[in-house]
Amino acid sequence: MNQADVSKLMSQLRIAVRPTKRNLKNPDGPEGRLLKLRKTVTALVKHERIELYYNRADEARGYAELLISNAIRHGDRHKATMELADYWLLEKQLVHKLFKVLVPRFENSNVSYTRMFKAPRDYPGMYYRKSVLELRGNPYPVLTPDNSQNRNLLHNVLLDEARKEFRREKLANLANKLAAETENATASTTATPAQAPVTETQTEQSKQAEEAPKA
Amino acid sequence: MNINVRILTKSVAQQYAFKRIVTFSTKPTQQAAAAAVPQQQEVTGPTVRKPIVPAHYRFVYPEFLPDPKVEWRNAVREKLERLDMLDRRRQIELPEFYVGSILAVTSSDPHAAGKTSRFVGICIHRERCGLRARFILRNVIDHQGIEVVYELYDPTIQKVEVLRLEKRLDDSLFYLRDALPEFSTFDENMEAEPLEEGAPVPINDIKVVLRPRPWLERWERQNLLGVANIEQYIKDKHRKSAEKVQKPWEKYDLMKQYRATIPEEEQKEIFAEVHTELHTLELQRKRNKRKRTFVKPKHLA
Repeated sequence: MNQADVSKLMSQLRIAVRPTKRNLKNPDGPEGRLLKLRKTVTALVKHERIELYYNRADEARGYAELLISNAIRHGDRHKATMELADYWLLEKQLVHKLFKVLVPRFENSNVSYTRMFKAPRDYPGMYYRKSVLELRGNPYPVLTPDNSQNRNLLHNVLLDEARKEFRREKLANLANKLAAETENATASTTATPAQAPVTETQTEQSKQAEEAPKA
Repeated sequence: MNINVRILTKSVAQQYAFKRIVTFSTKPTQQAAAAAVPQQQEVTGPTVRKPIVPAHYRFVYPEFLPDPKVEWRNAVREKLERLDMLDRRRQIELPEFYVGSILAVTSSDPHAAGKTSRFVGICIHRERCGLRARFILRNVIDHQGIEVVYELYDPTIQKVEVLRLEKRLDDSLFYLRDALPEFSTFDENMEAEPLEEGAPVPINDIKVVLRPRPWLERWERQNLLGVANIEQYIKDKHRKSAEKVQKPWEKYDLMKQYRATIPEEEQKEIFAEVHTELHTLELQRKRNKRKRTFVKPKHLA
């Protein structure tokens, strides 16, 4: 039952955080681990989408999220945050990107700043799982399949039915109109020899008009 | 893409709406910020009312924050513990104090003469959270260093008085055990030194003088601010080994810090839950104190 550290105040992460860290196998110990993660975070901020091993991506994700959230919280006039950015971004032009591009982009967001996907691994290859780590709002095409056109989705089923209904109504209207026109025509014409074929067409059309709403 | 367009249009609108003086910063200047803040408050003030929890609560009541270790978290237990803590606080006054403050604790003691014992000492350490919160008091009595561990919510504690409210330069003062006895000697009949209301807690920047080695811990490795003469007693080999165990990268290890703290949103939730109760208790105590100070003097002759 340890007391929580109250000297620092951090905003809550919008991603799932593991209770313990991964050591990421490194001969230089914790410092080397952080160097590895610094490289990953720098690459993420630079390229906005990177593909790498799952463990390293998952570890680096938390650091990237916290870096951005600290930058949003304190701004670029806070000395400690600037030091943090200086430490975590190995290429110094990215410090500008962090404060001038990423902070305005994520300032009003209420979801996580990064996304992570599981990626397929090549076979036969290294055993380790792979993943794709990206910043939200990046300029690349989306990775997730677009399922909005799936015809089995409920809203698509409903839309289809509505469309069918609409078409049926339209057909029925059309048929009624035609029937009305032909009736008018027969009433006005008094010529007897032409009567026989006209009645045939009239009956056919009226049948169609009756069938149309059923179909 | 939509997001980008929105941000772009927003930024363009901002550029044309206001003349921004500072081009190098993403944050407005202090004057602009000061001008902007009251406007926002005017807009949000009447619509959204939130309980105002003072920012210093996490320092005053650190034990209300749960242990950040995820495996040990249990929302129900934490809540029940907080209720119990408030119950206890309704019974006795547990004042604000820090490591370095001088306290007097009166507790029930079946073996003492009047069944109670009073111990005065400097708080050298605070640890644990919830109902298990505890602190260590240290004093030198009859040339013998004495330390007593008190649990803050122990029902046998009858009274906790803060005789001198102050902080020291370090988070824990275990090095007083290796310091000269005068640095942890405090008069048992010492009178309380009241602070002005609303004044910040003073930081005592006294530097303690250590005894020569052997010590209980390797103080030279701990980057202590409140010790004057470590250099006097250590040799080159100590200096080298101390350098080797330093971890300068830890202040950049954001996730380590995150796992050691309770995030701000959660803290707000917790303190919003206990704030009204604690605040009324504080007010009650203040009123009682004032009553006690204005007691009429009796006839002298």
